[in-house]
Amino acid sequence: MPNTKTLPFVDRLLSWSFRHPISTPARYAAATVLIVVVGLFRALVISSIVPWLLFIPVVLAIGLVLGRGSGVYAGVLAGVVAGLSIGNAREPLWLTDAQWIGSILFVLVAAGIAVFAAELRAAFARARRLTVEKDDALARFAEREAFLSGVLSSSTDCIKILDLDARLTFMSEGGQKVMEVSDFNAIAGCPWPDFWRDKGNDEARAAIAAAKAGQSRSFIGQAATMRGTVKWWHVAVSPIPGADGRPARILSVSRDISDLRASEEERDRFVRLVENSNDFVGMVRTDGTVFYINDAARRMVGLEGGADAGSLSIADFLMPEEAAKVANEVLPAVARDGHWAGEIDFRHFGTGEPIPALYSVFPITDADGALIGYGTVTRDFRERKRVENDMQLMNGELAHRLKNVLAVIQSVAQQTLRNAPDTETASHDLSARLAALGAATDVLTGKSWRSADLCELTKRALAPHGLIGRRILINGPSVTLKPEVTMAFALALHELATNASKYGALSNDNGTVALTWTVEGDDADARFALRWEERGGPEVSLPKRKGFGSTLIERSLRSYFRGQAATDYRPEGLVFQLEARLGDAAIVTGK
Amino acid sequence: MGQSTPIGTKTILIVEDEALIRFDLVDFFEAAGWRVFEAENADDAIRILDHHKEVRAVLTDVQMPGSMDGVKLAHYVRERFPPTVLFVVSGNLHIPDSELPPQTTFLPKPFDAHRLLRQLEAAQPR
Repeated sequence: MPNTKTLPFVDRLLSWSFRHPISTPARYAAATVLIVVVGLFRALVISSIVPWLLFIPVVLAIGLVLGRGSGVYAGVLAGVVAGLSIGNAREPLWLTDAQWIGSILFVLVAAGIAVFAAELRAAFARARRLTVEKDDALARFAEREAFLSGVLSSSTDCIKILDLDARLTFMSEGGQKVMEVSDFNAIAGCPWPDFWRDKGNDEARAAIAAAKAGQSRSFIGQAATMRGTVKWWHVAVSPIPGADGRPARILSVSRDISDLRASEEERDRFVRLVENSNDFVGMVRTDGTVFYINDAARRMVGLEGGADAGSLSIADFLMPEEAAKVANEVLPAVARDGHWAGEIDFRHFGTGEPIPALYSVFPITDADGALIGYGTVTRDFRERKRVENDMQLMNGELAHRLKNVLAVIQSVAQQTLRNAPDTETASHDLSARLAALGAATDVLTGKSWRSADLCELTKRALAPHGLIGRRILINGPSVTLKPEVTMAFALALHELATNASKYGALSNDNGTVALTWTVEGDDADARFALRWEERGGPEVSLPKRKGFGSTLIERSLRSYFRGQAATDYRPEGLVFQLEARLGDAAIVTGK
Repeated sequence: MGQSTPIGTKTILIVEDEALIRFDLVDFFEAAGWRVFEAENADDAIRILDHHKEVRAVLTDVQMPGSMDGVKLAHYVRERFPPTVLFVVSGNLHIPDSELPPQTTFLPKPFDAHRLLRQLEAAQPR
């Protein structure tokens, strides 16, 4: 207590007396001894002129050190001892009147001094107690402050105090670390919401407004640290009430949740991967009950509309015979080999139809590696099977057509050979006929053997025989020939043109051939008429012998077109006419 | 047609909708001295068979327009005219014997007509 101006000795003495309480008898005994000693000292050394003076400091000291009771006792005792030492046996009352008066006054004064000293002692005691209390309070306060600042600095949360204008006034040490702040003074006083990006900025302003109104808010937003690292934060903003209970400052506690957020985003991506997959993705527990199936799975087996998959088991998704296979072969194989894949027929919940699928199964384990179920990624094979079937059909169809074409070629070749006068003619005729058949297959292949355009077919078949448009004039409406008549028709045209080149209008330089056809009517019963008319050639005479070509023209076209076919050997030029029902010759699209 | 051939022997019915092939077969068998009937579908074939009991051999294509295909026609012929020698021709995959009537020969298209002729003449009662 350096500010207390007391004598060090008195101070020490008082302090000592407070530290060493003395029992009441001892106090009185000590007071008695002191007074008696002083009385003896006075009687022996000092004359009787000042009989009470010496006692005053002693009484004062006793009152101060030993308390009021001892002090008053010492004062009374001092009066007695002084009276005894100055008395005279000759006086009837031991003391003179003046001495009595003096003694009584002294006792009163000494008692007063003792009381006063005792009060001083009490005041000293109070001061001392207050000092101790103050020290205690200070110590507790310091301890608490150390605790709080320890908490603040060791927290990895960024703890900030803002003023009511949302300006930064304080940031915890740990907060400065996570915010990568090297010098807080650089950002002190900056408006806090400005640290937040996009939506976070609005959220921060709203939280400040709420805090000013006395409410706490929290939000999640993105903010960059002072070094520019963008992080996700969870922020709690709350008012700090002032003395009047109204918000005086604002507390903001932000926690870095970037890692959590990243793992959530990663998990979300996996969830979306599974949910958006076009493959059937599902999980079952070890007892076979369904734990999860994605939307593609629901679509595949007809479970749209959100029937509860949890009540289903693996067998419900499969054709009965396949369910047994999965239970007896597939799942044991998965347990043994860790994987199984193969074709399995699933079952449609609505129609009960089998759904061919590529079924791939694998075990699902928990974090400790214990088997908790099975997962599957299953591909719908319906479309693929359909394509496979189509391919098979097409292959068969192709083989059939190929063999048919070979058979036709065989027939044409045999008839050519049978009717040819010599091998050279046979070779020439056969080559030309095969070329004509080739032209027909070209036109058919262009339409996948479904039909042939008559105009295109005539142009192709006749192109080797003369300039189309000058020597050969083609005119007719669009007609789509049936594939089965196309080859014979091309061959017939070829024979007509060959004959014309040998004996008819195309055998000189200026004859022409007009090939025209008409369609009368507009349904399958419409009449189709085709006319081959030669002009400008040498005079025509009836041939002596009809060759294969001529026979073929009439006979085959009559058969294929189920109509009339006739050749008229007019002197001015050959005319060939074919008449048939349009539906027998061509593909009629209903108009 | 080969009218000179005695009735009941060397008479064949060719059932084939592809005229180019049918003409060739008709010409071929006629050249070999056979009496040949031709039909482009099963209905025509049955009509011919009803009128010409002398037909002893039938060669039919499988794929034909009309109410009956070649296999059905073969069964029909075997039932109605049991001794007939039957040939079924197809450009499609091989038709198993179980689907064909007994004593029926399947020929894939295109086939060797000369060999067919030898088979026919061997089966012909003398």
